[in-house]
Amino acid sequence: MGEIFDGQLFGAAIRQATPLILAALGGLMSERVGVINIGLEGKILMGAFAAALGALLTGSPLVGLGCAILVGITLALLHAVATQAWRTDHIVSGVAINLLALGLSTYLFRQLIVPREEAGQTSVVPMFAPIPLGGMESLPLLGALLKDQSWLTVLALLLPFVLLALLTYTRWGLRVNAVGNDSVKARTMGVPVMRMRYLGVMWSGVFASMAGAFLVLAATGQFRENMSAGRGFIALAALIFGRWHPLGAAGAALGFGFFEALQMRLQGQPLFGMQLPTDLLLMLPYLLTVVALMGLLGKMKPPSDLGN
Amino acid sequence: MPALLGAAIVLSVLTLLIMASGQSVGEGLQIILQGAIGYPRADAYGPADAWDAVLHDMTLLLLTGLAVAVALQAGLFNIGAAGQLLVGALAAAWAGTLTGVPDRLHLLLTLMVGAVAGALWAFVPVWLKVRRGAHEVISTIMFNYIALYLTHWLVTERLKDPMGDAPQTALVLEAARLPMLREDFLQASWGLGIAVVIALWLWLTLYHSVWGYELRLTGANRDAADAAGVSTARRMVEAMLLSGALAGLAGAIEVCGTQYRFFEGFPSEYGFDGIAVALLAGNHPALALFSAWLMSALRSGAYHLHAETGAPKEIAVVVQAVLILYVAAVYLRKRRLEG
Repeated sequence: MGEIFDGQLFGAAIRQATPLILAALGGLMSERVGVINIGLEGKILMGAFAAALGALLTGSPLVGLGCAILVGITLALLHAVATQAWRTDHIVSGVAINLLALGLSTYLFRQLIVPREEAGQTSVVPMFAPIPLGGMESLPLLGALLKDQSWLTVLALLLPFVLLALLTYTRWGLRVNAVGNDSVKARTMGVPVMRMRYLGVMWSGVFASMAGAFLVLAATGQFRENMSAGRGFIALAALIFGRWHPLGAAGAALGFGFFEALQMRLQGQPLFGMQLPTDLLLMLPYLLTVVALMGLLGKMKPPSDLGN
Repeated sequence: MPALLGAAIVLSVLTLLIMASGQSVGEGLQIILQGAIGYPRADAYGPADAWDAVLHDMTLLLLTGLAVAVALQAGLFNIGAAGQLLVGALAAAWAGTLTGVPDRLHLLLTLMVGAVAGALWAFVPVWLKVRRGAHEVISTIMFNYIALYLTHWLVTERLKDPMGDAPQTALVLEAARLPMLREDFLQASWGLGIAVVIALWLWLTLYHSVWGYELRLTGANRDAADAAGVSTARRMVEAMLLSGALAGLAGAIEVCGTQYRFFEGFPSEYGFDGIAVALLAGNHPALALFSAWLMSALRSGAYHLHAETGAPKEIAVVVQAVLILYVAAVYLRKRRLEG
């Protein structure tokens, strides 16, 4: 067992979980004000592309991150306008945004980045340097756990606590709950429902595109077609499994990240003397979410004004 | 008027994308048109005929489009057609390799097995919806991924062709195959005939039967349907089972008519494209014939442009997304889903 469950595995789990936490919290920002967001996947993907392009053209990962966030906000704004101003069904708009992101990112990748490769220029993106550890690298367990972690990961781990505090103790947080639970009542109480919704959806764009930027600028160093690879939907599962609560969603995302890391680590090795199919581990987040939806893990209570 | 505006928007997006890929617009549009409705030149390379690709895609898109449409008519958003298609395809690939089945019945049996598997895959999400109030969009998304990994595990571990190393099932028997629409076609089979007949049957059933009326009433206003004595939960379960069966049948037809086997990476994106087909048709089965053709022509046209000029074929995906947003914003305003 020792050779599987070591600091390295948990370090990898945190790395895998980072984009999931960010995207799940993005989903939270939008769903807590009543806007269903199945477009997280698209925002991650466009964020990843914008991060790669920005960093490639300027040589700076920070500019890449900025580009990702800008594009994420733009895409989120489209969702907000479609669902609020045009009164489009939230699911339909989300589906369209995922398709748009898939089509546009692949199209632009082929137009703008592939030709660079063909011209002999590099398509490897300048990345954020990992957090320097000083002397801690030699510590047992902790050293392997903290090695090669990005400050984006630290941000993702702190964010749920910040959000929880904001949601619980600030006027903004109380307003979010009011809008998410009964927008009509909130409006009569003088809460600017539309503004709350627009802002919530735009914050979801910020966080989800940061998840995409992490994939490029901290994890892999390059953009690949459809590289979000379903992470937006795992994040959605984490949000629901965590019952739309910041700590719940982040905790679920951490757990799902752990399954991914374990799956990559095992690659056919036996676990506890059993040969676990890797597909089963990859399936677990979705299976667990279905079990949660069955109500076997306690009552599920989504924001009651979701989708209106 | 909105239809004309929609066409204008789609055409401008298309023009913009062609221009951005460095092609001349007139030539690009002409190439797309060739790919969509047939190559006029005798020396065309690639598939014998654009109609081969268009009619093949149309078969799958029509069935998945009908799947999404039937569920939406009952007020359910089935995002899970992709997963139901995968499960149906694998089940059909298994049934198609069984020995000891009378030849005359084998094709029918194989297609039925695919449809039943798809229906079963849709059952848990709708059961969760009716009994637990869980949003069907979330559960069908989860079931898409469960289907993806389950079929992947089965095709690599349990149902793999013992004759080779590749992660794929054995070829289905000759008796379980659909004939091609035309002898020189490589993809488009008589599955299209099945799909068209089902579309016409659905049109009759949904709009000219009590059951269909109750189903649509459930989707339009569940409370009113309940008050009128319709067993809405039943209608919803039935609609979803039918939806899953149609998506499963699409997978079975892809196996029996085109691929002859299930393999790792089996194309399931038709399940998602069915959403666009259904929305564009306003969930009407007869109009779905047209929208399924239009989407297939668009895909084939973009692919032809890619083959001729190297322009990314994702032009079709972008146009599809714009089309969905436009249709949703103009025709589907304030459609509220319960849950």
